[in-house]
Amino acid sequence: MTVSILIVAVLIGVVLLRHRANRPARERRRIEDALKHLFDMEYRGGEATLSSLKGVLRLADRHVLALVARMQSLGFVRVRGQAFGLTPAGNRLARQIVRAHRLLERYFADEARLPLRQVHAAAEHHEHTMTPADVERLSADMGHPSVDPHGDPIPTREGHVPPAEGVPLTAWPTGSDARIVQIEDEPPVAFAQILAEGLHVGLRLRVLEHTPDRVVLTDGGTEIRLAPAVAANVFVAPAVDEAALTGAIRLTELPDRTRAEVVRIDDACRGFSRRRLMDLGLTEGAVVTPVLRSFAGDPRAYHVRGTTVALRRDQAAHVIVRPLESAWRETA
Amino acid sequence: MTPSPTDVIRRAAELREALGGTFRDEAVRALYAEAGEVARRAVRTQGARLDLDQRIDRIVTSPVFGLPLMALLLAVVFWITVAGANVPSNLLARALFAIEGAAVQLFDQLGAPWWLTGFLWNGVYRGLAWVVSVMLPPMAIFFPLFTMLEDLGYLPRVAFNLDFLFRRAGAHGKQALTMAMGFGCNAAGVIATRVIDSPRERLIAILTNNFVPCNGRYPTLIMLATIFVGASFPAAFASVAAAGAVVAIVCVGVAMTLAVSWALSRTLLRGEASAFTLELPPYRRPSVLRILYTSLIDRTLFVLWRAVMTAAPAGAVIWLLANIHVGGASLAQYAAGGLDPLGRAIGLDGAVLLAYVIAIPANEIVVPTLMMIYTGAGMMTDVTSLDDLQRLLVDQNGWTLLTAVNLMLFSLLHNPCATTILTIYRETMSVRWTAIGALLPLAIGFAVTFVVATVWRLFI
Repeated sequence: MTVSILIVAVLIGVVLLRHRANRPARERRRIEDALKHLFDMEYRGGEATLSSLKGVLRLADRHVLALVARMQSLGFVRVRGQAFGLTPAGNRLARQIVRAHRLLERYFADEARLPLRQVHAAAEHHEHTMTPADVERLSADMGHPSVDPHGDPIPTREGHVPPAEGVPLTAWPTGSDARIVQIEDEPPVAFAQILAEGLHVGLRLRVLEHTPDRVVLTDGGTEIRLAPAVAANVFVAPAVDEAALTGAIRLTELPDRTRAEVVRIDDACRGFSRRRLMDLGLTEGAVVTPVLRSFAGDPRAYHVRGTTVALRRDQAAHVIVRPLESAWRETA
Repeated sequence: MTPSPTDVIRRAAELREALGGTFRDEAVRALYAEAGEVARRAVRTQGARLDLDQRIDRIVTSPVFGLPLMALLLAVVFWITVAGANVPSNLLARALFAIEGAAVQLFDQLGAPWWLTGFLWNGVYRGLAWVVSVMLPPMAIFFPLFTMLEDLGYLPRVAFNLDFLFRRAGAHGKQALTMAMGFGCNAAGVIATRVIDSPRERLIAILTNNFVPCNGRYPTLIMLATIFVGASFPAAFASVAAAGAVVAIVCVGVAMTLAVSWALSRTLLRGEASAFTLELPPYRRPSVLRILYTSLIDRTLFVLWRAVMTAAPAGAVIWLLANIHVGGASLAQYAAGGLDPLGRAIGLDGAVLLAYVIAIPANEIVVPTLMMIYTGAGMMTDVTSLDDLQRLLVDQNGWTLLTAVNLMLFSLLHNPCATTILTIYRETMSVRWTAIGALLPLAIGFAVTFVVATVWRLFI
């Protein structure tokens, strides 16, 4: 009996001590999250308030107020009436955290190949433990990417952030070609719906129809319908090359034993998977022929550059090809 | 004026931003263009060779014939192994046990104490002899056959055929390859998972590799299949029926692999099935000399050496357990008695469980250990004919078809051998994953055999 009471007491003690030991880390995390939010609001031309901060940090009023007071004393935040703003020092720090966050998102999406829905949470978890040197190494390892997987610009080491270039899909004129430059990842429900429709950063599309209750668009093959509230989270810019949409299909749509020429690998496929596809010889101009179909029709095997390569459907879908007119014939 | 280093760095940063994200693509494209140009000038291809390859491919990966053909090939390989290993196995056993007999006589004449003779020859040496004679012939047949399929280029086609199952299980298509390696040796299969580049899917492949029976477990499976399945068929079909039973167990193993992969990718290792790119190399004429070399030297001798290293101490432990008597019974009998209630609950008995505990270092000594406990002979026993074995199991120790079925299942689903556990640790460098890799199959084995035993007793 006494032994078990003793064990319970020791366990409680250990938990309390760990809680206390975690306090500085927890405070750092909260301050950094608050800075990120303030930066985000300023970048979008909005204002951070007590209630917006409360929503992001999920803390009670008095904790938020104490946190703001602490940040004020550190010289990161100034209060103007209802709104909170960043001081130049706070702004510099905020850009570093945003840089770490977006680089991590890029890493989780491209190299660790986490589903896009999960990269934000994973980056939130890891960004607070990185030193500036870690951040630089990560950036260099990935070849200094300029945007995160959602299309948001990654601040440079000096803190330079290019302005957002896209306009919401709802404001895009019908009939003209566009390219998705950014997809807002909040709220998660809208983001999941956008991903489920197969939209991704870099996708070329054309708005077909525009009414108060729906936006209809096409990526050259399928027609996609979005609610305006959802479409407003997709930002587009003018398409760079207009030729890409005409006559090009995905490798998965290519009939068996039909020759086609690789046009490009779409922009949703990045990092490791992209390198792998290119290493297999699926570069622009390569001639590719589907030759084998497995039991369930997925994977298929393709003949490319004198070798046979099997690809699952979700990878072959990233390869854009243009069918060649001539009937199927094995090239020498 | 020469620019300062900071100017150069700043200029580089500016240029880098202007470069965009596609410069790596450009580099690969340029390399391929160059290589394509070189190949166009230097390489001449013959159309006929390619056509033959494609014709074979169309059959072995055909949606209709692909899977049955695969099962048939597997069955033939097992049948050749079962049918061919019997005679050399008996010859080897006779020769090795003759040496033991001579050595014991020699020791007796020299006046060595009984415990030294017993420990060294009836314990350590006998363990070694069993492992060598039971394992060497099947391995020397199975590994060259398997290497030949590998050398032909057939294994990537297996991965291609099975990928649709592994994709649904949230696993990597190359797990079919590592699983195939596991048929030879689970430790080798765990090492082979290095071909899987996604860490999540590699862990799944490591944790589930043990669900296919390795070479060390075939003797148990083959023995049970021969006594309980083969014996109920006419002699002409006995080896075919036995091979069929082994194939059935293998299919259960593959099904477990997929089921556990599926469960892991939805719980502990959550995530989407990732990239699967697999090259299907052209078929090659197998080079016999290289096959013999790689399969006999690299695989057979390697696995055998490992088994010998673990069998020697296990033989010693068995001898000690059977020969240290406390209060009228040996330690082995005490241990078997203690494990008996648990063993009965899962349709086996205490002796079987004790044999599996002792055989953790090497699964191939399960059957000899079991014989030793049953006969109380004080050493690993060789039962000379299968009829003797059947009499011993069925008449004296009350084995039923349920015991045989559950032992086959338990031999498929239990903790990996010590070498595989060590290999899992070396590959994952994590105590936690190693523990899961060791205990998960054991827990599943208990659960499955318990359910089978309970249902069996209710209805039959």
